[in-house]
Amino acid sequence: MKKSKYFISLMLFPFHIFADDIEINVIIENCKSCHGQNYEGNNYIKSLKTLEKEEFISKMIKYINSNNDHVMSRISKVLNKKDILKIAEEIYEKVE
Amino acid sequence: MKKLNNYRRNFLKNSGYLISSLLLSSIFKINISYAKSKLKPRIIIVGFGIGGATCISYLLKFSKNFDIIVIEKNERIQTCPMSNLVIADIIPYSYISHDFDYMRLKNIKFLNSSVKKIYTSKKIIETEESSKIYYDYLILSPGINFKNDIDGYNHKDKSIVPHCWDGTKNIFKFKKRLNDLEKKSTIIISAPDYPYRCPPAPYERASLLANFLKRKKKKFKILILDSKDSFTKKEIFLNEWRNYHRESIEWISKSKGGKITYFNKKENYVKTSNGSKFKADFINIIPNQKAADILTISKLNGNKDWCEVNPMTFELKNFRNIFVVGDSIDAGDMPKSAFSANSQAKILASNLVNRIYEKDLLNPVFLNTCYSFSSSKRAFSITSWYKLNKKKTRIVSLGSSTTNVDALSHQYFDETRQAYGWYENLVKTLYG
Repeated sequence: MKKSKYFISLMLFPFHIFADDIEINVIIENCKSCHGQNYEGNNYIKSLKTLEKEEFISKMIKYINSNNDHVMSRISKVLNKKDILKIAEEIYEKVE
Repeated sequence: MKKLNNYRRNFLKNSGYLISSLLLSSIFKINISYAKSKLKPRIIIVGFGIGGATCISYLLKFSKNFDIIVIEKNERIQTCPMSNLVIADIIPYSYISHDFDYMRLKNIKFLNSSVKKIYTSKKIIETEESSKIYYDYLILSPGINFKNDIDGYNHKDKSIVPHCWDGTKNIFKFKKRLNDLEKKSTIIISAPDYPYRCPPAPYERASLLANFLKRKKKKFKILILDSKDSFTKKEIFLNEWRNYHRESIEWISKSKGGKITYFNKKENYVKTSNGSKFKADFINIIPNQKAADILTISKLNGNKDWCEVNPMTFELKNFRNIFVVGDSIDAGDMPKSAFSANSQAKILASNLVNRIYEKDLLNPVFLNTCYSFSSSKRAFSITSWYKLNKKKTRIVSLGSSTTNVDALSHQYFDETRQAYGWYENLVKTLYG
């Protein structure tokens, strides 16, 4: 997905369910429970390391937009555009 | 570092507080002095289950700055998550049994023992060998204990079907009793009242036992006698039973007479609150639950079933520098699950380090995702985020959501893969 597309998609999610004083790292630590300490995944859950940052953002947008009940769709519903960009920033800053 | 340096200086000034050292055997055969540490704050972690091991994984990077001691009564860890799949012969026992990764934990001292009592005024714990160890900070992740509130039932009775709710090797005894069932049998599973460890697990167990017995080509009837009128993922479980075990699983709610009040082990029957009598060949009572014994013996839970903690830090109310995580606490809206304990322990460990270094505490959010299997190819989940209320005194749910009951087969199968994926990453992080 092109950058412009996912930024438009992000605009659709202005609702921020977490308080502003919650650090993004606190949210990310919970992602690691399934995705692994270094987002390396395993035989069942794909590694986030194999994704480009923009691909990650577009997938997260798809999850939020989706009406299916995939676990990631349900988990990501509480996130907004700011959260997703910050999460991507954190993950892809640290993933080589 | 200011706090740490102060700590060292203060200690050296006050080094009069020394108890003669005693050598204790540990898994590593490391000698542990129980005197107050001279240079580093000492953190003792009791219990190396999901909560305790998560704390350790977060404290590891500070292990050179802290004197960290882990006290664990078992030599291996057997997890409760996935144990129903072992009972049903879907995965081997080795999948849920874990060694400690000594190489990764080399800066941490291990003591293979259990804690008999905590002396809060002296900041000392006493082990089962009657050795006493000083702590600066104490983290307790002791699991749960069980109530004997059914007449005739004693959870410690070795002659009955074990409850298999505590991560012990009783799972083999449970499997043997199951395998010994005749070709036609009646099974009772009792579901406890809230709150208890892993709320959907009694219903998962019923589903997987049915699945197992079908594969063995045995005729059976499973009665779930419930102390509640509803349960988590109820709609999905009922749908699974309708579709796959129509005649063989029956759920009897509390209001329909499901709450067990009497157990007769000699004649293999139970009586429920409305006077009904149910006879069975295999009676698996999952007892009501409460905080672990060590908390009651040490008077840390104020005569309540569960401990009250500050959800920002998991420090016990009224007991400074003692922290409790996992199933023994009242975690507000959070269920007692491995995922919850893992999420809570991350905040506990991070904010403990922040406190020691006099940094601002993190404002927590928690996540729980709880998978249940109904067969080897079908799983479903409930998931919820949690944050603190405005007063920061209670953990509150942001709303839970479950797998859609009308999900397609491949979606149910996908959830089995996600469940294995979560579990394998969790135990890899914690146990190597």
